[in-house]
Amino acid sequence: MELDEISNLPGHVVDQILSQLSIREAVKTSVLSSKWRYKWATLPNLVFDNECYSFSSLDQTVVKSKLVNIVDHVLLLHNGPIYKFKLSHRDLQGISDIDRWILHLSRQSIQEFILEIWKGQRYKMPSCLFSCQHLIHLELFNCLLKPPSTFKGFKSLKSLDLQHVTLAQDVFENLISSCPLLERLTLMNFDGFTYLNIEAPNLQFFDIGGVFNDISFENAFQLAVVSIGLYDKRQSHAYSSNLLKFFVHLPHIRRLEIQSYFLKYLSIGFVPGKLPNPCFNLNYLSIRINFNDVDEVLTALCILRSSPNLQELEVLARPEEQAAVGTVTNIKEDNHWSCHQLRLVKIFGISGIKPELNFINLLLSTSPGLEKMTVKPASNNGGWELLKDLLRFRRASVHAEIIYMDP
Amino acid sequence: MFWKALKKSLYHPNKVKSLNKGHLLFALSLPCFYWRCKVQFLINLHCPCQMSEGAMAVVKPEMKSYIWLQTADGSIQQVEEEVAMFCPMICREVIQTGTGSSKNYAISLPQRVNPAILGLILDYCRFHQVPGRSNKERKTFDEKFIRMDTKRLCELTSAADSLQLKPLVDLTSRALARIIEGKTPEEIRETFHLPDDLTEEEKLEPLRNITDDPRIRLLNRLYARKRKELKEREKLKNVEVEEERVDDRSVDDLLSFINGGDGDTKGTRTNKNKKKNRRRKDQSKDSCLNNVNGNHNEEMHDLHSACHDGEGNNGLLASASTSSKLQDSAAVTFSPKLEFDDGDMDDDLDPAMKEELDREVEDFARRLNSVWPERMQELFQGRKLVPISLNGNSSMSRYTSLDQR
Repeated sequence: MELDEISNLPGHVVDQILSQLSIREAVKTSVLSSKWRYKWATLPNLVFDNECYSFSSLDQTVVKSKLVNIVDHVLLLHNGPIYKFKLSHRDLQGISDIDRWILHLSRQSIQEFILEIWKGQRYKMPSCLFSCQHLIHLELFNCLLKPPSTFKGFKSLKSLDLQHVTLAQDVFENLISSCPLLERLTLMNFDGFTYLNIEAPNLQFFDIGGVFNDISFENAFQLAVVSIGLYDKRQSHAYSSNLLKFFVHLPHIRRLEIQSYFLKYLSIGFVPGKLPNPCFNLNYLSIRINFNDVDEVLTALCILRSSPNLQELEVLARPEEQAAVGTVTNIKEDNHWSCHQLRLVKIFGISGIKPELNFINLLLSTSPGLEKMTVKPASNNGGWELLKDLLRFRRASVHAEIIYMDP
Repeated sequence: MFWKALKKSLYHPNKVKSLNKGHLLFALSLPCFYWRCKVQFLINLHCPCQMSEGAMAVVKPEMKSYIWLQTADGSIQQVEEEVAMFCPMICREVIQTGTGSSKNYAISLPQRVNPAILGLILDYCRFHQVPGRSNKERKTFDEKFIRMDTKRLCELTSAADSLQLKPLVDLTSRALARIIEGKTPEEIRETFHLPDDLTEEEKLEPLRNITDDPRIRLLNRLYARKRKELKEREKLKNVEVEEERVDDRSVDDLLSFINGGDGDTKGTRTNKNKKKNRRRKDQSKDSCLNNVNGNHNEEMHDLHSACHDGEGNNGLLASASTSSKLQDSAAVTFSPKLEFDDGDMDDDLDPAMKEELDREVEDFARRLNSVWPERMQELFQGRKLVPISLNGNSSMSRYTSLDQR
């Protein structure tokens, strides 16, 4: 009889092995031998996803009840602390069974909670979730949040990811400001609130995409990576200068992505030639822009001029708005400005109109360190003309390589 | 003794006089970087001009430094410092206790590290301690590195853990998980030489809970069969798995149990086993008649019994939950209490059919070893996949092998 090596591994190593398996495979090990009987039951991380159960039944009720059964059983047989609980199954609806599981978890010191409701209505989070004071990571998909009045915030929460969620305005503001350790915040497709007032002193990473009226940061000086997409082009709000207001609270920004119509939002109000406080740390910038909108182009240029250490730039033209040619922006002047650090530029989706060419010309003539510029037009129409123009532009960098990609 | 003197001098720099130049030079040539630094510091402190130049000249030509390691079997070997220091446990020993600098002061490694495994671990360290390797290179090395039999892989995991070499533990435990993944319990037992020390009864308990892989469902059937034989042989009446009892309840059962609305849930049924069983059996037979044709195989039968079991509770519960209720019960296909009625069913079949079923079950046991979907195809080869609606008001339909002959 050979020695049973694997069963004699230290407990934490066995845990590590089991945690690499899907919950189904892990539970299955309990029939192996007496030593394996309850090894799985102390696993601190429970993940119920498509892996844990994939029966090819199209019937909702079957799938639902099986899933409920599995989670029930596992939670009942489980023994010991649960640090991570993830529930994300493509056939999962917001059923009341989840309330019971969350109640169970809220009595443990759960640290990581991930719930993704793939189907049906928003699932209303039970109030017991808001008492999980050990939470470090919270991720919700298709949920409705309505914390009880006694909710005092998540004191340990570092990472919050909310997608397809509904929150009232005051709930949202209270939630963000009462998580003092929050470092990462992701918000996608939300409703119930339209003013984003972000007050999070430790926030470093912020990714947002949705419809909102206004955004402002307050005491969020650690922010380094920001990606903002505004999905609605109707701009109602106008401060004296959205641009100044936005950047004044982002002194440490390193990466910035301006997506969808957010540049349009920034272009509202006064656009200075340069920001009063340059973004010294910004080394990556991605902007989606309508080149026919003079204000947007000026806003983009203002950001560029205020980013002396920018190394990588990505410009995505919004194709749907390229049609009407308005006043041609004249941007060739600009005497005292150059992008010294700029090495890589990508310009995608252009159609070869004058403002685009001016913009490219400007970049080529003011970037002495440029190594590579990749240009990819939206369509093949006028490809040759575009190429001819590109060839003619003077380049400040002797190393610059222009790569033309077929659409 | 020199060693003592050196150590003392490090903590009481003023007493360094007890060391002569030769001693310090020797100390400088010691393998451990930590010592070298300390001694260099001493030299610079006490005899800045006369010593350091000469000493530096001796040390400069980059002597390879070694660390002495002793495995549990007593064998001692010397290992390049930078390789050995890659193991946190060795590194800690060197810094905290100052051992490893000579053969007499070799670091004794944990019990779990035998010489052969140490060789492997050092190969791993030797590769990964070199800075500047690309991720791809490292990945390729790792993939090749873990190609070994499972016994060795386990030993390696254990040894790496005892040396606190976390990246290697991560690598090997991932590899072990990949080996376990997708295997049947029998295969896993065979692969890792696990003792098969659970009774069939015990094996059944947890399997009941992860119902829905059809493989497991069929495996359950297989176990159920064995269990039945077992039962007949040992004339055991009620088995003692009572503590698992509660798991069998479906959600609605549990709720109705809590609400006290329905005393006749599965959980409480234990006591009324006999009476209930009779009723279920009758129902089973009835359903046989109603069925597409009487020619079903066991699996269908199992579903039936489960289904009827559900139905049994169902009438007492709110009709809104009816269909989900049924599914719930179907999910708990096998529980020892249900005494599902293989025997009765088999009795209804003609002997030829029965024989074929037996063959099929055995056949299936063999096929369990391989990946599910292909095997399923094979298993059903030459047969039609027919979704069977088991119950008028149930929306459940499953693919079941229907013998068309």
